[in-house]
Amino acid sequence: MNQFVLKQDSSEELRLFPHILELGIVKNTSIRLNAFPKISVDGIKIFTVLEGKFEWCINNGLFTLFPNDVAVILPGQEFGSSNGVLEIGSYSWIHLNVQRKGSNELVMGLWSSLSESECNAISKILLANESPILSKFIDGAKILKLIQTELANQELGYHARVNHFIDELFILITRQLTKQSNPGRDFPKTFMDLEQALRQNLSHQWTVEEMAALVGLGTTLFNEKVKSYSGFSPINYLINIRISEAIKLLKRPGISLTDIALDTGFYSSQHFSTTFKKLTGYTPSEFRKNHLSKK
Amino acid sequence: MKCIVTIELGTNAVRVFAFDLDGNIIGSLKGYYPTFHTQPDYSEQDPDQVFLTMLYVLKNLLNETIYPKKYKVACICFSSYMHSVLPVDKHGNPLGYAITWSDTRAKKESYELKSSSAGKTIYKATGTPLHPMSPLIKIAWIKNNDKDRFKQTSKILPLKSYIIQQLTGEYMVDYSIASATGLLNIHKIKWEPDALKFAGIKENMLPDLVPVFTSAGKLKKAYQTSLGLSADTKIIVGSSDGCMAILGDGVSGNGVATITIEDSGAVRVMGDKVLQDEKQRFFNYLLTENCYVSGGPTNNGGIIFEWFTRQFGDFKNPFDIDHSMQELINDALKVPPGSDGLIFLPYLLAERAPIWNPNARGVYFGLNIKHEKTHFVRATIEGILYEIYSIGKTLEEHRNIKSLSINGSFGTMPFCTQMVADIYNKPVRLRQNFHSVSFGSFLLSATEMGIYKSLDEAAKKVVLTDLYLPDKQNHKKYMQYFKIFERLSTKLAPEFEEIANLQ
Repeated sequence: MNQFVLKQDSSEELRLFPHILELGIVKNTSIRLNAFPKISVDGIKIFTVLEGKFEWCINNGLFTLFPNDVAVILPGQEFGSSNGVLEIGSYSWIHLNVQRKGSNELVMGLWSSLSESECNAISKILLANESPILSKFIDGAKILKLIQTELANQELGYHARVNHFIDELFILITRQLTKQSNPGRDFPKTFMDLEQALRQNLSHQWTVEEMAALVGLGTTLFNEKVKSYSGFSPINYLINIRISEAIKLLKRPGISLTDIALDTGFYSSQHFSTTFKKLTGYTPSEFRKNHLSKK
Repeated sequence: MKCIVTIELGTNAVRVFAFDLDGNIIGSLKGYYPTFHTQPDYSEQDPDQVFLTMLYVLKNLLNETIYPKKYKVACICFSSYMHSVLPVDKHGNPLGYAITWSDTRAKKESYELKSSSAGKTIYKATGTPLHPMSPLIKIAWIKNNDKDRFKQTSKILPLKSYIIQQLTGEYMVDYSIASATGLLNIHKIKWEPDALKFAGIKENMLPDLVPVFTSAGKLKKAYQTSLGLSADTKIIVGSSDGCMAILGDGVSGNGVATITIEDSGAVRVMGDKVLQDEKQRFFNYLLTENCYVSGGPTNNGGIIFEWFTRQFGDFKNPFDIDHSMQELINDALKVPPGSDGLIFLPYLLAERAPIWNPNARGVYFGLNIKHEKTHFVRATIEGILYEIYSIGKTLEEHRNIKSLSINGSFGTMPFCTQMVADIYNKPVRLRQNFHSVSFGSFLLSATEMGIYKSLDEAAKKVVLTDLYLPDKQNHKKYMQYFKIFERLSTKLAPEFEEIANLQ
């Protein structure tokens, strides 16, 4: 395919796709100086190398990319060549208007047909991921090519298909990322990472699917691994952390029971109270009285 | 029908067992709790999470197994890992997290005490090696480095004492756990004034010192109700995991040593005398009056082979490390004993007994062009077990060891058990899927209930069914390499220090 660039503000093809900021292929036949400076990326950029070899700087790390390698640059990350040089070779990319909300959420937009919890899991995995490179990820190039073809031919249903392909791209990238981290190899470490993620965002209404996706396992296998490792189902383990944290907060005067309940992820103070009593034998207020009255 | 419940507070998880009065297992459950490493040397646990996990697991076992089978709980007996430190304020509320045995932040305090003359006297009196693991030294660290916390501290509790206090309101510590604090004079069974002075605390900051059979008072009303236990359920303070493991293996007198190899490992003997060692290589813990459990601990047990498997194992079936370990062991079988001269020093986590060198590091030695991956596998396992042997060998300078028992998930893999028998040149007994620590707690409880007259008699109840006999040829082979292993372990000390400083 020849090189081309579609841009949101100038290309008619993108009129129906306000979330696609840019899409294109670059074929570079001679080394060009100052052609590829480092910039801070707004939105998400996904690159796949088609030919040649590129040395790119992503989020302060230096990476060498070969054909079929895919780079994922997230909102706010620095991206470019460290000395501004564009090497010989070709690559294709898509630039999407997907923004970050808070520290661990990405907002996809109405075009996406991902469910809220799927989207949530995908954002968490992308944002928690440390290496922006997926090596030998052929699906990346394939999907970008499909998107380009749909946009060029504009046949019946291309609007829906393009958006589906973008979803597909996110899904496959995320699956690949979790495979790369190979959670079964060191499950104790995987479990520790999970514990940390849960504690950092304890007020979130975690689902098992989200937790499983975060460590890159299917739900059934995840359930099984967690049960055999911890003795608890994932949800019961989470409740365990919630109550342990609540105990600490209850010992501090000045935080209301409702605040404690919500901070530790219970959906109401009633829900908190029942669960707490079931486990500890005391209601939260009894527990608090026992520990504060001594003071 | 009556039953006995045992609760083992382990390093990573609580294990709750229910036994009928004949010692048959009715049911068991475990619950994991995390260890936090907020700084490289730190290793801490949330006491409330440990307590909650224990409650949760206990409750599940009661409701899922014990009550449906119509058992009534006669007593609950505790055991736990040693050397934990939890300061609490005057209301009994924890000041921060509990510091676990593997925390090494107090290196400086440890070094200071070890190189002083007071250190020698304190070791003699307390039997606990002077090492960052020792509560004595950890408390001194808090005193020197966390002054605010120290000032607010009203009591210092081992984790198990906190758990029991939550249940019954009583502050108690049993002889075994107390004897692992470095603060107890194990000859007089009294807190040692010199040790208290070094730690900077007074006797009244420690829980009441009681024998392992002591009942720790009544369960609080709320727990009676939520757990469905009657007010007369006895809560027995119990002992430490180390003492329970040797009791659970049925060792009661001379001539037998018990080897435990889980992540870490230990070799232990039991006797009526303290094992005095000029080089301060051993611990001496107290089970009951005049009954001492002595031995040496290693940091580098099964965890080292797990490390090796993670680096070099086959993960084509990605989700099972046990499977990969087994594959590697099959590889190791293809290599003759001694690994054709490849020797491994397993000190990836530095080492305690017998070299007590916090700077020790791992070494593969004797590598030549003919060695293959399979040699590394076998050498790694041999290295871990040479280390276990080197502890036993130093114990033999003091005690006569005729046979061995072995427990722990790594030690009881048949390949490892046979290798232990060959290296030691002694018969080794074990029972597969046997939980020595919990069974020890059962024996202790049953003795308290009068089912057995004494722990001695109770220990005789244990039958270890599997026997591994040593192969003399293999033993000879191993000894040729062990000589070199042993020399290297001390010879490299200056290089260990230099490389540790660079890391």
